[in-house]
Amino acid sequence: MTPETTHETTGGQPLTIRSWPQAILHIDADAFFASCEQAIHPELKGRPVITGKERGIVAAASYEAKARGVKRGMRLFEVRQVCRDAVILPSDYETYSLFSIRMFEILRRFSPEVEEYSIDEAFVDLTGLRRTFHGSYGSIADKIRRTIERELGITASVGVSLSKVLAKIGSKHNKPNGTTIIPGRDIHLYLERLAVGSVWGIGANTAALLNKHGIYTALQFARKDEAFIKRYLSKPYQAIWRELNGRSVFGVITETKSTYQSISKAKTFTPPSADEAFVFSQVSKNLENACIKARRYKLAATRLIVFIRGQDYRNYGVELRIAPPSAHPYYLIEPLTEGFKKLYKTNILYRQTGVVLSGLVPDDGSGYTLFDDMVKIQKMVKIYEALDTLSAKYGKHTVHHGTSLLTKQQLQHEGDRQDIPVRKTALFKGENRRQRLGLPVLNIKV
Amino acid sequence: MKKPHADDKLRTRITDMSAFFHNNGRMPSFSELGEIFHLRSKSSVHKAVGKLETLGVISKDNRGRLIPGSIKSTVKLLGTVEAGFPSPAEEELADTISLDDMLIKNREATFLLKVSGDSMSGAGILPGDMVIVDKGQTPKSGDIVIAEVDGQWTMKYLRKRGEAVTLIPANPNYKPIKPKIDLKIAGVVTAVVRKLK
Repeated sequence: MTPETTHETTGGQPLTIRSWPQAILHIDADAFFASCEQAIHPELKGRPVITGKERGIVAAASYEAKARGVKRGMRLFEVRQVCRDAVILPSDYETYSLFSIRMFEILRRFSPEVEEYSIDEAFVDLTGLRRTFHGSYGSIADKIRRTIERELGITASVGVSLSKVLAKIGSKHNKPNGTTIIPGRDIHLYLERLAVGSVWGIGANTAALLNKHGIYTALQFARKDEAFIKRYLSKPYQAIWRELNGRSVFGVITETKSTYQSISKAKTFTPPSADEAFVFSQVSKNLENACIKARRYKLAATRLIVFIRGQDYRNYGVELRIAPPSAHPYYLIEPLTEGFKKLYKTNILYRQTGVVLSGLVPDDGSGYTLFDDMVKIQKMVKIYEALDTLSAKYGKHTVHHGTSLLTKQQLQHEGDRQDIPVRKTALFKGENRRQRLGLPVLNIKV
Repeated sequence: MKKPHADDKLRTRITDMSAFFHNNGRMPSFSELGEIFHLRSKSSVHKAVGKLETLGVISKDNRGRLIPGSIKSTVKLLGTVEAGFPSPAEEELADTISLDDMLIKNREATFLLKVSGDSMSGAGILPGDMVIVDKGQTPKSGDIVIAEVDGQWTMKYLRKRGEAVTLIPANPNYKPIKPKIDLKIAGVVTAVVRKLK
């Protein structure tokens, strides 16, 4: 599959004549959340399906809904205006996660080198696998796509090329349910019509800078000489330039994420609230959630960012220092309160709060000074260990800080009760509200 | 000839010393050890004993006489068998499978479904039962399948006779279905699970 341009009209020499020094595949599931819903509710296939009911905005829209003008992030009342027959469902993250894991497992049948890039995207190193699968990289890619469609009932788009950046261009080229193969000699054909700002990793600012130098397409960028690139751009962009020229720089990272630069937790609530105690309880719960994750990865924060978002979508944020580094809300509530007081204004309606733990360091006790109360810190470590054990056994927030209490006494979203996914309400004997079988359920009446 | 490996030498010494202990019912003296170890000087014997002591094979009493350590039981001595023989029970357990393994062949393609109708009651599938559906298998004649016939979903036996495909219920109150326009098979039913308590 080559773009609808012929060789005569396109921009000259190939960027490289080596066809497959390495083969990287990028796979991107099509309208993932909405597709999962259509897979477990087969009667919804071919209909406009939208997820995100509990949030009041579109989290994902099926291709049928996109065709009607539904976009991500759109408010649901707007959706009903453009697409009256839209099926709007609450998000069922449990099912989506199961589908995600399955997609990665299927990829691992083909190659051990799989990078789980996000819930619905992955990179796979296919280099050298042509003989094993008796076919071209294109036929392997098609086989992967067909296996996912048959076993999971969802479609995905696939790109195969010499580098991650090029593979990503490929998977975007023919969406949905398409395969795009870009061998070395064809790279320039795909880059010619691609705006430089559409390349993975090139943001609006960099695109604007490149535009100033007369670079508008990805091909113009790729053809620039190294001296220019080194003079005007920093290391990550130099890497993108190499990748566009078919020289792989970003390897496929197979190990699952075990460390983080920062951990953030944010949550919206409806209706928006001006109640200080309630808004603070939301921030407090965000903090507890972020700390749970930090403790799971044995990390401690040295900086804490608090932000609250008004109904007008304006964000108000503040950053605070944490010493000694900690992942225990007991020590973080005080700076959190201080930060919150700076941000909070009466008579403003807020709709979202969030915290970011950053400057993360390994929680190995090396960050303490002579003046820290080690006995108390050790006590806290024990208390939170017990708390984490309780959570594992009885569910998250079985025991929580008093400051988060108000989040429990009021529904996160108005009308929340009818917005629970079917999987959590139609249970099999032996399942309960907290634990269910780790297999997706087909909602077919037979 | 290749020089014997240090570990091999040590192992031979331990076995020889242990043989002496088992034959004589006592530990050898230092001079006897010299003979066993083929060492002429007392200081070499002393060195060898020191090494065995650190390994915990032997120890010394307060007067410097040797006390047998792990050499008492010859099985432990040989190092490689120290992990112990696998017990017969363990061997047998290696051949068992979990209910999950038995019921699920290809996990990635397996889905659950709650049965609502009684058209397959003759096959032992009742309303409220959980069936396990494999989407990866190619449906064969005689399989119970989940299928969409002319826009309606159903669970029936699949019967193929040449080109003709019929869906057969397992309940006399229902009629066999011959697809008029189109038939889509969503998966093959591989198991039925009914939890009673």
